[in-house]
Amino acid sequence: MNNFIINLVPGETFLHKLSGTTKVRLFFVLVIYLVMTFDLRLTLPVFILSIIGLISLKPKFKSFSYIIGFVVIMNLVNIILYFLANPHTGSAYINSETVLFQLNSYFVFTAETLWYLGCRFFKMITTFLVSLTFILSITPSEFAAGLYACHVPYKVCTIVEMAFRYIPDIARDYKNIQISMQARGVELDPKKAGLFSRVKQNIMILIPLIITSFDRIGNISNAMDLRGFGKGKKRSYYSEHEETPNDKKVKIVYCVLAVFVVAYVIGRAVFHIPQIWYPF
Amino acid sequence: MNYGSIKVFTNTSLTTAMIVPVIVGGLFGPLPAACAAGIGNVIADLIGGWGFWFDWSIGNACLGLFVGALPLYGAYIEDGIFDVKHMIIYAILCVVGCGISFGLVTPLFTVLFYGGELSITLIQSAVSSVSNIIVLLVIGIPVLKVLANRNKRGQNLKAE
Repeated sequence: MNNFIINLVPGETFLHKLSGTTKVRLFFVLVIYLVMTFDLRLTLPVFILSIIGLISLKPKFKSFSYIIGFVVIMNLVNIILYFLANPHTGSAYINSETVLFQLNSYFVFTAETLWYLGCRFFKMITTFLVSLTFILSITPSEFAAGLYACHVPYKVCTIVEMAFRYIPDIARDYKNIQISMQARGVELDPKKAGLFSRVKQNIMILIPLIITSFDRIGNISNAMDLRGFGKGKKRSYYSEHEETPNDKKVKIVYCVLAVFVVAYVIGRAVFHIPQIWYPF
Repeated sequence: MNYGSIKVFTNTSLTTAMIVPVIVGGLFGPLPAACAAGIGNVIADLIGGWGFWFDWSIGNACLGLFVGALPLYGAYIEDGIFDVKHMIIYAILCVVGCGISFGLVTPLFTVLFYGGELSITLIQSAVSSVSNIIVLLVIGIPVLKVLANRNKRGQNLKAE
C-alpha cells in the first residue's frame, strides 16, 4: 500500500494534461450522472469510456490490481448481503415479479431482483472505475484548484488537498509502525493470531499512528499560519493553467452532460420515468 | 483504514475510521470534527470503490458534531483533562448522536437524494449505529485516555 494511487507529479497523457477545473467538473457531473440512475443503457457508455480513459493514462496496473480485486469482491459481498436482507428488492423498482425458482418461503429468486442487483453491481463498478481514473489523472493541488473553480471556499479545498496528499504518507507510517511492532514480537499474521487478538494489536498500531499524524498536522498548520494562510479572501493556484483547446472540447462534453442530467432528473420527477430499465 | 475493515452488512463495515473525528473534536472542537467526518467519508468513498453515498457523508458529519463536542463539556484533551464524568457524557453523546444522525438525518437525505426504498437504509442504519457505537466506545475511550495522559505530562509547569 505504498504510493500506489495518488500522483504528485502531473503526467503526460491527454487526461493528465487537462486543467484541474475541467477534470473536477467532469468528474462531478459524472458522479451525479451515476448516482441518479440504475439504467443499464446509461451506465454502459460511461463504463466503456472510463475503461478507455483508464487505459489511456498508461498506469502501472500491477500497483492497483489488488484494489480492483478487493473492490470487486467487496461489491459482490455487498450484493449478496443485499439479497439476503430483502429478496424482493427488485420488485420495488420494477412493478412485476417473475419467480425463477425458490428455496423456501423466504429465499425467492425473482428475475427482477437479480436484474436489479446486477445493475447495481455494474453501477458500483462503473463508479469505482470513474473515481479510479479521476484519482490517477489528477494531482492533489490540481484537485484543490478544480474545487476552488467550482466555488468551494478555499479553506475546504485545502483540507481536501491535504487529506488527499497525506493518504500515502499515512499508509506508509502505518506500514512502518506495523513492521516495528512485529519486530518487537507483536503477532499480526492472520494464520497465527486469532481475529480478536489481531484487532487488539491493530489498536496498538493506531495509537502511535494517531500521535505522529496529529503532531505532523500541528507542524503543518503552524507553518501555514506563519505564512499567513487564511488572511486573504481569494487564492490562486500555481498548478492551474490556462484553458487549452482540449479543455474547451471537454468543456462542451460536460456542459451537454450536465444539461442532460438536469433534464433527466426533472423528467423523472415529472413523467415518472422508472429508475431502472427492464427489457423483459 | 478502509482496507482494514471488517464487513458487517451490505455497504456497512466495522472500521476504526470513526476515531479520527473524535480526536479532532477533542483537540479542535465539534465543527472541525464534523468537517473531518464528512470530508473523510467522501474521500473514503472516492478511494473505496463502493459508490458515492452522500446521504451517509452528511449523516457522518452530523455524528462528528456529536462525538466531537468534547471541549463543550470540559474534556480538554490537549490539557490532559478526561475523567470518568467526561467518559460518561461522551458515551451518552455517542449513542444519542448515532441515533439522530443515522436514524433521522441519513434516511431523510436518502429520500431526498436517492428517492424511496428505505428498508435497506434503515437496516444499514441500525447495523452501522451499533458498530459505530462499539468502535467509539471500545476504541475511542482508551485512545482519548492515552492521548490525555500523554498531554498531561507537560502540564506541571506553572507560569511565575
